[in-house]
This record gives sequence, C-alpha cells and structure tokens, in this order.
Amino acid sequence: MEELKVASETTQFIVIQLGDEQYGIDIKYIDNIVRMQHITRVPKVDAYLKGVINLRGEVIPVMSIRIKMGLEPDVETKSSRIIILKMEQQGTIGIIVDEVKEVVTLENDQIEKIAYDSKDEKDNFLCGIGKCDGSLISLLDLNSVVLENV
Amino acid sequence: MDVSQYLEIFLDETNEHLQNLNTQILSLEQDPENMDTINEIFRAAHSLKGMAGTMGYKRMQTLTHDMENVFSEVRNGNIKVNAGMIDVLFQCLDALEEYNTNIRESSDEGTNDNEPLIKQLNDIMNGGEAADSGAAKEAKPEAYAAKPEGKDADKDSGEGRKWLDITLNDNQQTVLREAVKQGKKVYGLTVKVHESCILKAARAFLVFKAIEENSEIIVSNPSAQDIEDEKFELDFSLVVISDASLDKVIAAAKGVSEIEDVLGGVMDIEAASAAETHQDTAALAAGTVMETAAQTSAEESTAQTSVPAATSAPPAAKKAPANKPAANKPVVNRTVRVDIEKLDTLMNLVSELIIAKNSLVSASAMSGTSSQAVNEQIEYLESVTTSLHESVMKVRMVPIESTVNKFPRMVRDLQKKLGKKMELYMSGEDTELDRTVVDQIGDPLMHLLRNAADHGLESAEVRKERGKPEVGSIFLDAYQDGNNVVIEVRDDGNGIDTEAVKNKAIERGVITPEQGENMSEKEITNLLFNAGFSTAKVVSDVSGRGVGLDVVKSMIESLSGEVEVKSKLGEGSSWIIRLPLTLAIIQALMVDIGNEKYAISLGSIQTIEDISPADVKLVQAKEVIQLRDLVIPLIRLNEILDIESKKDPNENLVVVIVKKGDKYAGLVVDELIGQQEIVIKSLGKYISKCKIISGATVLGDGEVALILDANTLI
Repeated sequence: MEELKVASETTQFIVIQLGDEQYGIDIKYIDNIVRMQHITRVPKVDAYLKGVINLRGEVIPVMSIRIKMGLEPDVETKSSRIIILKMEQQGTIGIIVDEVKEVVTLENDQIEKIAYDSKDEKDNFLCGIGKCDGSLISLLDLNSVVLENV
Repeated sequence: MDVSQYLEIFLDETNEHLQNLNTQILSLEQDPENMDTINEIFRAAHSLKGMAGTMGYKRMQTLTHDMENVFSEVRNGNIKVNAGMIDVLFQCLDALEEYNTNIRESSDEGTNDNEPLIKQLNDIMNGGEAADSGAAKEAKPEAYAAKPEGKDADKDSGEGRKWLDITLNDNQQTVLREAVKQGKKVYGLTVKVHESCILKAARAFLVFKAIEENSEIIVSNPSAQDIEDEKFELDFSLVVISDASLDKVIAAAKGVSEIEDVLGGVMDIEAASAAETHQDTAALAAGTVMETAAQTSAEESTAQTSVPAATSAPPAAKKAPANKPAANKPVVNRTVRVDIEKLDTLMNLVSELIIAKNSLVSASAMSGTSSQAVNEQIEYLESVTTSLHESVMKVRMVPIESTVNKFPRMVRDLQKKLGKKMELYMSGEDTELDRTVVDQIGDPLMHLLRNAADHGLESAEVRKERGKPEVGSIFLDAYQDGNNVVIEVRDDGNGIDTEAVKNKAIERGVITPEQGENMSEKEITNLLFNAGFSTAKVVSDVSGRGVGLDVVKSMIESLSGEVEVKSKLGEGSSWIIRLPLTLAIIQALMVDIGNEKYAISLGSIQTIEDISPADVKLVQAKEVIQLRDLVIPLIRLNEILDIESKKDPNENLVVVIVKKGDKYAGLVVDELIGQQEIVIKSLGKYISKCKIISGATVLGDGEVALILDANTLI
C-alpha cells in the first residue's frame, strides 16, 4: 500500500500466505518477524506446538498455525517466517507462516464480520474478511488461534 | 502532603522497627534491667512514632506515642518491667503489625483505635508514676503532647525553633562568649528541609556552605557527621557566629533549593548554657531570649509571640530527651535500598553475558584457529563472568534473620497458648539465601515450628515421667552445605509414632492395610506430607487442621527445595529443608539423546556409570541394574522423550545415576557432552504441560536445550 491512512476507523494488517489462502494479522499483536531457525522440540506437548526458539536470549514457544487449523504440515522454504506475537494472556508466542506478503490498511467498512455459528472448525479462527483491491483476506482471530486445546 | 512515594520505604522500615522491637522486648523479658535493651526499644518506638506521624497515620502514632512514654518511664527508672507489661507491649506490637498490614493493603491504617491497649499503657504509666514522686509527671505528658502533631504543631509552640534545643558544652560557650566580646553576633538557626527532598544530606551540605560564607558554624544538632549520614528527619539546628545581620544569614540558607523554611534568632548564650534548653519544656514557660523573626509565611508568624524560655526545667523531664542523641547508636552499615526488579534486570543481563561468553567459547573452538592469546583472554573472561555472577547473586542474598527473627516471639506466644514449657534455640541466622526464597520460607518454617510445639513436644508432666527436662527444646538451625542451604527444625519431643500414622492412613484410605504392612518407617513418615492428613486427636488453634505439612512440602518444592523428616519415637523429630542457593544459574551436565541436547542439573547427579547391556536385569518387567549393593531402576530417556536412540543396543549404556532423597534412578542417555554453567529460562505459561522439563537454556551456539527435571522422573 502506498498511502497509509492513519484514521481512527482503520486497522493495519500484515498479510501472510498459508497454503493457497491469504490471512491478515492485526499489526498490534506483532512484536517481530524472524527467519526460520532451528526449533528445539519439546516432548509430550500437543502436535501443533513445534517447540521453542531462542530470540535474543529469550526462550519463546513456536506453534504451527497450519497444524492448529487442520491444514497440511508446514514445509520449510526460503520464504518461511516465524511471526512473534505478543499476546496479553499467553505472553510471547511464535507462529510459523509460509510467507509474509505486505502490510495493508483496511477501513472498517472494508471489513466484513463473519457469523460465529459456522460449524467448520477453520472458520473459528477468523474474526472477519477484509476486502482489499479486489482480493479477499481472511482476518485471523489470534486469541482463538493461540488458545490452548483443552 | 503527598507521601505515597515514601510508602514502600515506610512499610519496610516499620517492619524492621517492629521486628527489632519484638526481639528487644523478648530479651527484655529475660533481662528486665538491661539499660541497652531499654534504650534500643525506646529508640525504635520513637522512630516508629516519628515515621507514622510524618506519613499521617494518626492512630499508629498515638499508640506508639503511648508506648514510647512507657519506655521512657522505664528508662528513667520510674517503672519496673514486669510480665504484665511485657504482655501489653506485645499486644501493642500486634496492633501495630495490624496497622502496618492495613497500610500495605489499602494504604490506610484502618479504624481500630486500640483504646483498651492505650488505656492499659496509661495504667502502666500511672502505676509507675505513683511509685515515683516529682515533677516528671506533670511535665512529661505535656512535653510529649507538643510533639506528635509533627509539622502542624510547630505553628503554635516553640517546636520549630529547635535551635533552642541545642546543648552547649563549656568549650563552645567560651568560644561564643569570645565572639560576643569581639562584637560578633550569635544566632541560632533551625533549617527545615522540604518534605519531598530526597537528598537531604546534600541540601544540608549546601546550607552549611552557604552559611559558612559569612558566618562560622559552632554547633549543629544533629552533629555534622549525622547530618552527612542523613541521620536527621526534616530539620537541623545550628548555632553560628557572624558579622552579618540575621536576615542575611537566613537569606543565605534559604537560597538553597528544597529548603522549606529557616527560623532564626539571636541567641542568649548565658541563658542557653545555664539551662541546657530543651524545647519542650522551654515552650511551657515564658522566656528571655529576644527574637528577630525570620519567617515569611503568615501562619507561622504567630509563633513569634511565643518566646521560648531558658529557665531551669524540671530535671526529670529533660533527662529523657537529653539522653536521646547521646545514646549509643548501633553501628549501621552503609546501605542502599534497591528495587528487587532492578536486581532481576541485572541478573538477566549477567545471564545474557554468560550466554555470550559460552558462544565465544564454542565459536573459538569451532574456528579451530584458537591462538594462545585468544584462549587466555577467554579464560580471563570466564573468570570475570563467574565472579560477576557470584557478586550479583550475593547482592540478592539476604540473611534469613529477617524471617526467623519473629519466631522467638511466636514460640513465646505458643507457650502461653498451649500451656507447655518450651524454649527455642536458633543458630545460623546469618545464613544467606536469595531474597525471594527468604521471603517465602517464613510460612513453611512457621508451620514446622508450630507442629513441633503442638504435636512434637509433650506436656510438662509427661516429659517429667519420661525423665526429660520439663522445658522442651525446639531447635532451628540453618547452615550452608555446598550449593544448598539447609534449615533444620528439631524438637526433643515425642517423635513420630509411625504406628499411629499408619493406622490413620489406613483409616483415611490413603493406603490399604496390605500396603501398610510392607511400608518402611521412612515411607510411613512421608505419608505425613499427604494432603488432609493430621494425626492430632483434637484440632487445635495452633495446628492440626491437616493442611500444614502438604502445604509446607509444596511451598518448599516450589522453591526447588526439598524437605525430609527424621524421627525417633520418644526422642524427637527433625525436619530438614534443603534449598538451592540460587534459582537462576546452575551447573549442569549436558547429554545427547537421539541428537537432541538436554541438560541435567549437576545437583541431582550422583555418579555416571558405564553399564554393559548384559548387566541389565528385569524385575517385575522393569529394567534395573545392580550397583554397589543398590538395585537401581533404569529409565530410558529416549522412550520418555519419544526419540529414537541412535545408539547400537549392543553397545555399553551410559547411565547417569540421579538421586532424590533416598531414591535412585539410572537415566540412560546416548552420549555425554560435558559440564556447563547454564542459565535457566522458563518455558513460559504456554508450554506448561510437560512435567519432566523444568525449563530451557540457551547454549553457546544460540540453540535452545531443555532442562530435564530428574526429580519428576524418579
């Protein structure tokens, strides 16, 4: 986006690629984006928790958003990134994405809320659909993405 | 006045003073005539009063004020210390403690006036004074009445003019007289520092400098040394000789910032020396000192009319306050109060440094071009980081004294409550532990002491029958043992009746009767740590709710410590708590399992063995090895951690023998990497399900290795 309007009714999203779909992550949760690195496996935890990484001396858990959402397991490529999120409840968490595309600014009327009654598990991770330049971006509801499986 | 920023300091200091009072009153009970103790108590009560007053906690102030009165009477020999009085004093301390808790929680002291206590204190006072004749009675209460209001009171009395308080010795008088003869003037000054001033000593120093430009300072109260050490509250007084006019001198002092007010007057040397003026008494009578007032604020100008005097004061009344500065103050180490968070940050930085150092070590080993010089420098860096780590750790260490000091008092109270005779012997109060550990170890220790007093010790009659001294003994010993600190709570009471424990456990369904048959004494005593287990037949106020010991155990384990109990029926029992010196950085053995690196704390490792696969036996379908008469179960870590071992099953096994209490286990690993100093990092809340991993650490190459908790594996 060439012009970034900073108005009260706009939200900035980082657009990421997961499989064939594009997802948006609210920029206010993002602490950092780092390249793929060695992830130390932690035994006896849920499969979507890939392990921990060292981020400047801090040990940070990394989860696979693909496994969590029931997609194919990650294939590490050159464009794979770990997005470090700062969540209020869970603290700092890294999520693995296929690619980081761009930053978009969406006005609130460009965001369409989705009904919550969807049975499809995948949809539970979304909080809305963003329309931008003719393409659709699924906006991730990070709180439910990082929520632990009970 | 905004005092909230001082609240933390106030609470800390109040705690210290209360602790001090507790200790001193206890020793006073033993030795009621000891003047040093009485003086110390008086000082602590006085400081408490002052602090409470400054912070505006009126109720607290009133109570301490009355306590102080009692002590001052004791000090003057007007009242004798007796058991009833000690009891009342302890109740007062409890009440003060309550205020303090209230303040900590809500920054308000609460509404409890504690009138009955104040009445009792006054009764003691009156009782004491009845025995004594003299003017002290009249003068004293009034003299003190002027004080408690602190800042407000100085408007209507001579309170602000503390220079009248200064006692001149012969030399100083001579000097002053000389000066007057030479036509110089002698002024008394009282400088009041602004309440929000932080560097009081520095301001005072500037005032000194400013005044010395045109005058000479003869006396200061408190002494120059004390002012330099900041041992004064908000004001200090000076006697100066000067050629300049009073206004000029005052203006010079006022030129310093953060000085609230400077009061001054021409000093009548003759009167001052004759009477050793004391403000409180002086304020009561009419005086002869001429004053040229210097206050600018309107409300304070009323004070000008009250002309303090220098008539001979009632001797008894002035004795106590005059002693105050003279009393020998305990030698205090120069200290700085530091927020624990800052220390945590420092500790984290040290951790980072150690990680960086480890990286450097592995980088130089990798590059292979390690020259002599590089190696030497790395070794030097290593020794520096190690001592840096040690020093930072030491900064965080505090003696356990602050926690254990309240126990003598507690045991004394228990004694009364339980009607048993007992004595607490403590040793090693100066043993140091990490601050966070010291803060949290108090409750478990208290539980254990209460248990010892309630369940452990027998009543005096039973003790007599058994041929023991009537007074039961409880010991609290602390000492350092390698990288651990050991705290032992011992009693010479009944010990643990394992049969009773076993029966109780069976009755409660904790174990089956068959299990009970096969249990060793050790295992039975360990049942005591089960939740909801209490063998006391009567639930008492002191202990016996069955929540104690399991809480003790879990609290100590949360501090990475352990607790065990040794007991002999009829002879007593001892509870042994082991705590690690530090929680953040440990020595660990790095091992390789299926190409993954894991760290095992060196503290739990006993030995490392090379075992041939043929020596592995099966017992109840579980693998064990026999090692020096011990049968040790084998734990194959690769199975537990869900990794493929990359080792040939026919090769000899590398077994790390770990110990927890009396239990051993052999951990089978693929390879040993070596010993390393590691920094423990939490895995965070997000990965908390994995019990066998106690944390993670960052290795020299930036990789994360997990730390195995050997205790949960056994």
